[in-house]
Amino acid sequence: MIINDVSKSYLVNSEPLEVLKDFSLTIEPNTICALVGPSGCGKTTLLRLVGELEACDKGSIVKSESELGPVSYLFQEPRLLPWFSVLTNVEVVLRPFYENKAERVDIAMKFIKMVGLGDYAKFKPDMLSGGMRQRVAIARSFAYPSSIMLLDEPFQSLDASLRWSLVKSFLHLWEAEKRTTLYVTHDVQEALLMADLVIKLSKRPMEIINKHYITTPKATRSLADPKLISLQASFYN
Amino acid sequence: MSRSTLATKLTLIISLLLLLATWQVGAILLDAQVILPTVGKTVEAFVQLLKFKPLSVNILTTVSRSLKSFLIILISGTILGILAGYFKLIDAFLKPFLVICKATPVMAIILLAFIWFSSGTVPLFSAFLMGFPIMFVQMERGVDQISKELKEMSQLFAFSKKDRLFYVIIPSLLPSIITGSKASLSMVWKVVIAAEVLTVPKYGVGSRMQLAQVNLETAQVLAWTIIAILLTAIGDLVFSLLLKALERVVK
Repeated sequence: MIINDVSKSYLVNSEPLEVLKDFSLTIEPNTICALVGPSGCGKTTLLRLVGELEACDKGSIVKSESELGPVSYLFQEPRLLPWFSVLTNVEVVLRPFYENKAERVDIAMKFIKMVGLGDYAKFKPDMLSGGMRQRVAIARSFAYPSSIMLLDEPFQSLDASLRWSLVKSFLHLWEAEKRTTLYVTHDVQEALLMADLVIKLSKRPMEIINKHYITTPKATRSLADPKLISLQASFYN
Repeated sequence: MSRSTLATKLTLIISLLLLLATWQVGAILLDAQVILPTVGKTVEAFVQLLKFKPLSVNILTTVSRSLKSFLIILISGTILGILAGYFKLIDAFLKPFLVICKATPVMAIILLAFIWFSSGTVPLFSAFLMGFPIMFVQMERGVDQISKELKEMSQLFAFSKKDRLFYVIIPSLLPSIITGSKASLSMVWKVVIAAEVLTVPKYGVGSRMQLAQVNLETAQVLAWTIIAILLTAIGDLVFSLLLKALERVVK
């Protein structure tokens, strides 16, 4: 995906607020790119532009052939339908793609099982813990037949141990079904463990301060790795 | 039965007994059956009413008027409330009508309706005017309260219009439909009976109450009141059972 000289501004109290100015970035297909930057710098705006929820004022976002088609999202909150079971919450996003209900249920169950909630398929979201609900959201975004995934701080509101367990669940699914992923986070450690490319961003209007490619396989990464420790330090400097 | 459930039930029974005791003591102290008959006399009048032949006709007529009015409120209030929630111009257009409905005293509506319509139609019409704003406002608020996050989620995951309606909008509005229906139904019972009291149609619980009052049969007025209370309670019960059945269907 090539993000080419993209600009975007909003009108705030009749004054233009420039969020992105000539922003460019290239992301390799089927890799995870983490965007780390201060609040309000424009990370979410970039996600919305990539997801075509909004249009760029200037510039373009060119997707490779494998990246064309639906885009799936993982939000800060799980955003589940509280009236329906875990299974229905995942199955419903497949409705436009599979006419056969049995097929939809099979696919949904596959992903629900992959996030470890096979026994909870009939449960409604309010019967689950916060972490379990976010797992359902992960299953839903992977079940959705997308070629691009957009993650907007999906693990932010969870405690550390739960966060790591969800990161593992996410990576487990991602390794099985790789997709180009743009991942917004404040958490440098999370970014270093998950991403192939970690980008440090400036305040608004958002600019790239530095980029780090991490080649260590995700499964073997550890925060005790001296390379990652020094990278982490560079983010705080 | 858990301890707390037992305690709640006991408290309810004690409260009811206390109420009956106060009534009985008051009736004995007043010693005037025309003003306040004893509990025994009222029960006697109630039993007599049950033997009264056109009892079911009176009850069925009141129930039929109430249900017709409720059905009209449910359909019109739901549709117009949802439309007003989505389109501010419809909301603005209906506002004066709603303000007038809410501000006009029930009795004034009944008296005016009695000038315009036959005595059988007045309860239906008055109940509609009093119950409609309740349903309408609930639905309008319901539309406002549909989660923006869920709306955005359904948009991002490309839900079809039909799926958005059945998976997001209708379930979001269900609590408003339930609250609005419950509140408007209890209002409908009261207004229908009040309108029957004032206009005295041939049949109706309110008409019987009015006739008993004219004849100074206070025990009978109270007995008809008990029937009115029972009608409301049965209405609530049927409503709750329907909701439970609906929940099972949704599950």
